[in-house]
Amino acid sequence: MDALFELAVFAALLATGFLAGRVIEQRHYASIRAREAQYADVLAFGFRFPADRVTPQRVFLVTGTVVVSADYFKTFVAGLRNLFGGRLRAYETLLERARREALLRLKEDARRRGARMIVCVRFETTSITGGWAPSIEVLAYGTALIPEQTNRAT
Amino acid sequence: MRLENRRPAEGINASHENPLKEFAWLAAGSVALLVAVVAALAFAAEWLAPRLPYRYEARLAEGFDLAPAPKSDAARRVQAELQALADRLAARMALPPGMQVRVGYREEGIVNAYATLGGRTVFFRGLLAKLDSEDALAMVMAHELAHLKHRHPAAALGRGVAVGIVLSMISADLGRGAAGALGHAGLVTLFRFNREQERAADEEALRVLAAEYGHVGGAIDLFDAFARLPAAPREENIPAIEFLRTHPLTANRIAAVGEWAKHNGAALDGARRPLPPAIAAIRTRGERAS
Amino acid sequence: MIVSNLELIPGKRIAAHLGIVQGSTVRAKHVGRDIFASLKNIVGGELKGYTELMQEARQEAVDRMIAEAESIGANAILNVRFATTSIAVGAAEILAYGSAVRLENP
Repeated sequence: MDALFELAVFAALLATGFLAGRVIEQRHYASIRAREAQYADVLAFGFRFPADRVTPQRVFLVTGTVVVSADYFKTFVAGLRNLFGGRLRAYETLLERARREALLRLKEDARRRGARMIVCVRFETTSITGGWAPSIEVLAYGTALIPEQTNRAT
Repeated sequence: MRLENRRPAEGINASHENPLKEFAWLAAGSVALLVAVVAALAFAAEWLAPRLPYRYEARLAEGFDLAPAPKSDAARRVQAELQALADRLAARMALPPGMQVRVGYREEGIVNAYATLGGRTVFFRGLLAKLDSEDALAMVMAHELAHLKHRHPAAALGRGVAVGIVLSMISADLGRGAAGALGHAGLVTLFRFNREQERAADEEALRVLAAEYGHVGGAIDLFDAFARLPAAPREENIPAIEFLRTHPLTANRIAAVGEWAKHNGAALDGARRPLPPAIAAIRTRGERAS
Repeated sequence: MIVSNLELIPGKRIAAHLGIVQGSTVRAKHVGRDIFASLKNIVGGELKGYTELMQEARQEAVDRMIAEAESIGANAILNVRFATTSIAVGAAEILAYGSAVRLENP
């Protein structure tokens, strides 16, 4: 009887995790795509040195950070996947979402402070243990540039 | 220099395939893997346990009261008669070194007898009340002794322990709910012998029967008595069919007796010996009561 | 104070390297947030409480790094890097470090 009850709770958590997790994930992707179009005018690059090293620029550090959690279903599927090895698809989408979200927030930060260009973009991923499901933090940081001339011109 | 941010195609770093598909594959794969591991381990343990020296089993069995002493004087007499028969038959069997057969008797209506760890076998009053001759009783006794000789209780224990260990190991991974349900099933099957073991025990019993009585008529009597048991018992009689359910079909066993007798040149029929007095009294008491 | 993860600043010249400066902090969110986060673990999605925790912590680490740089007379920190370690459930150490320099107009 106890075992049956535990089984029912487990199935309910699995179903909740799957349905709610899927809705949340799809909404998140929709929001990411919309904002990626919206922030297309903020350019982000990975190179270590600005393309234009001569023109004086105002520079400052910008960051974007997000903590996302896997759902109960993803965690369970990942647990099964551990038996066989291979691609953890459930976590791949989670990390992709987090990384795109962090990059968007980085661009948001830059645009709010008047910049249209971020260089030397770096990512940092940390897993936060606890709860039933693992959570990950993704940090994106880089240097925002505002050319001095444009400032004077406007 | 041209500076622009182009958007890469979606679905390269993460696939947007329905996760239920992967889940179904993984769930099926894990169940198959689990079944394979449990089966392999159970098989290995079942093979290994009877090959360990008997003294380990004896030491393990000491801790349990597997064949409780009878309480009444009448029951003690029945028990003594059963023990005498067991000793007589055991002398004709090559039991594992150090095994001391001890027969227990329980005054319960269940039509059953079982063999368990440490050379113990237990008979129920319900079974004794169904028997007409010592030959039939000897067939049951020799069958249980054959289980002991082949160390089947140890094999069953090994299998049960192996299954239990696997289930408790995966419980951390799969959630206690699933493993708990499976674990109960594992305990229930702990002391069931499989058909192959039953067949082996029947054959050994027939050999002993033929050697002791000169014919295997007792086996025919026994299975006839089983065939007369109610085929569709009511709910409260479920324990009564336990012996039948865990053993091969009665009709098949009767056919097997004929086959064995033909093959080994043993007589199918002969003079029956009467039951020892205290055991015979069970039946007459029961008939008077009904 | 110019803070950047670039190794040089366009249109500026590095007059002096003053060494590595760093700022770090260990933070945890209160129990209520942890309980909410563990409930959110069932359905997944963003854990806003933890996002804020990380943001505040990172800002503090940067502020401490700047304070170190100011104490040694730097006017810029270049080549800034972040490192994060989760220490226990809901607690994290955030480290920011970089090279303190004196920048001049050429």
